[in-house]
Amino acid sequence: MSTAEFEEVAMMESDLLAPRAIAVSELRAENVSVWFGKRKVLENVNIDFPKNTVTALIGPSGCGKSTFIRTLNRLHELIPGAALAGSVLYEGKDIYSSDIDPVHIRLQIGMVFQKPNPFPSMTIRGNVLSGLKLSGMKRDNHDDIVEQTLTAAGLWNEVKDRLNHAAGDLSGGQQQRLVIARALAVQPSVLLMDEPCSALDPASTLKIEETIRQLSKEVTIVIVTHNMQQAVRVADNTAFFLAQEGEPGHIVEQGLTTDIFGQPQDQRTLDYVNGRFG
Amino acid sequence: MSTILYQPPADPALLSQPPQRPWRHKPRSFTTAVALAVIVPAVITAALFFLSPIPGAIVLVVVYFPLQLLASGIAAWATRGVRGIADSVIIVNAIGATVFSFVVLASLIGSLIVRGLRALSAHFVYQNSVYISPSTPLDYGGIGHALIGTILVVAVATAVAVPIGIATAIYITEVRGRAVPYVRFFVQAMSGVPSVVAGLFILTIAVSTGWFSQNAFAGGLAYAILMLPTVARTAEEVLKLIPDELRTGALALGSTRARTVMRVVLPAAKTGIITAILLGIARVIGETAPLLLAAGNNDGTVLNPFGQAIASIPVYIFNNVAVPYPDAVARAWGAALVLMILIAVLFTVARFLGRGRVGRAK
Repeated sequence: MSTAEFEEVAMMESDLLAPRAIAVSELRAENVSVWFGKRKVLENVNIDFPKNTVTALIGPSGCGKSTFIRTLNRLHELIPGAALAGSVLYEGKDIYSSDIDPVHIRLQIGMVFQKPNPFPSMTIRGNVLSGLKLSGMKRDNHDDIVEQTLTAAGLWNEVKDRLNHAAGDLSGGQQQRLVIARALAVQPSVLLMDEPCSALDPASTLKIEETIRQLSKEVTIVIVTHNMQQAVRVADNTAFFLAQEGEPGHIVEQGLTTDIFGQPQDQRTLDYVNGRFG
Repeated sequence: MSTILYQPPADPALLSQPPQRPWRHKPRSFTTAVALAVIVPAVITAALFFLSPIPGAIVLVVVYFPLQLLASGIAAWATRGVRGIADSVIIVNAIGATVFSFVVLASLIGSLIVRGLRALSAHFVYQNSVYISPSTPLDYGGIGHALIGTILVVAVATAVAVPIGIATAIYITEVRGRAVPYVRFFVQAMSGVPSVVAGLFILTIAVSTGWFSQNAFAGGLAYAILMLPTVARTAEEVLKLIPDELRTGALALGSTRARTVMRVVLPAAKTGIITAILLGIARVIGETAPLLLAAGNNDGTVLNPFGQAIASIPVYIFNNVAVPYPDAVARAWGAALVLMILIAVLFTVARFLGRGRVGRAK
């Protein structure tokens, strides 16, 4: 069976058996350990991100979730003193191998950050198309791209009459959806989201969660969140990170979101998902 | 289906893996291309330099630089494709500009050291110039009096300009009164005042009217006029960088605005404020004209800033460099070297003081 066929079958299966966790792996971390200087912050992380699924990374503050998500598109190495061991496989190839251009990786594995960061000197339309300019990617029909991505990000109806206004005039929730549209315009196959809703009100959060569910039909999503209800609402799979006092963090338990929240095996996971600490 | 629990790896070696930086490993083709792009233009330039009669500077500009651009462009294209070319052009230009400015600075400092060292000796730093004429050999006399003079004048200027400058910056960024646009306009206009005008101003309003004679205080006031706009504008930029959250945070604890500025905003901006003061000092310390007019000159040592006319290093250099005696010119170079060392010491001390024990706010 060829890969394409296998993918097709896997997709069909995943459509039949929601939650769709058995699809083909697209991004995969193997024995990843991470350091800042001499301090080891993550140890031996193994996790699979199947194609077109949503994976939530949960855990208390300081357990290395955000650090981990930044190793997935090679942003971690920009921090002075950063180090790493293990490998991150994207479509079966180690993204840290020496012949891989990090620029190319970041083009395919996009990211949305905690604080909305639209470019203040550009218009709404300019922000959506900025990725094309910055990466030198050529795509036709810019008007269609703007409409498609803004629609996908759930923002089109609110901004369609003022595409040439400054992006800074939007509210925080709108800015965050604009940033998601911007990330989508370069057609990434993976989208990393680092607490995308932590600075937003419940209404905007709900809109972004709808957006995530919609996007997961075409894009593999990894989302770091402190909000456990959010993980339940959007994620197919969940991984629980924990760091003991003074020790590097690791994944305590991972699996289908329904299992992690419904029948966790580890006592600490049970306590965390029930809000007893963290 | 059930969840997967954490399991330590079967191979314990995986747990004791050393930290690595895989992003530093470049493929061999990349290293080769970079090496070729560095070596080939250098070899061609060296060959032209040694084997042809073309002057070195022309070889450097006309041959080496374009060749380096071309070689880097080709190397980038070969390893990273079309998009690498723009990167390589920017990098080569950035490195070229850095090297150029470094060479200019190094040759300036180098010639200062080479020529200044001839006059430099222990007595040159502490003796004064009483009984010294331009033809006196270098075994006698020094610039101790001028060094003290410069330090006194700069101290007066700092004492006057820094409080006013920081107060101006606080008015613009913290008080935000109605006069802000006018204050800012006048501060900007002040930074355009020629130094000779500052000297003339003090000379006419203070010295000619008989308030006081030419002395370190008058010279310091003239310096302060030049220093004020630099301190005020730099401090303003620094205070603008302090996030508003700090101010509202302090106000929400029941602090007054004045105490917020003194206890929270200024300490957070400490390093930047010190930079502002340093830039102000650097702006004035070599200025000659104001001191020529307002502070005068003296061959002897004067310690009282409110006393008689006082010597300073710039004026000393000015007087010695225009004299047709090689020893006097050597003294001028020596004085310039001492002035540069003084600035270096001052900056080092200030940087050291600026390193706060609490926090690393910048």
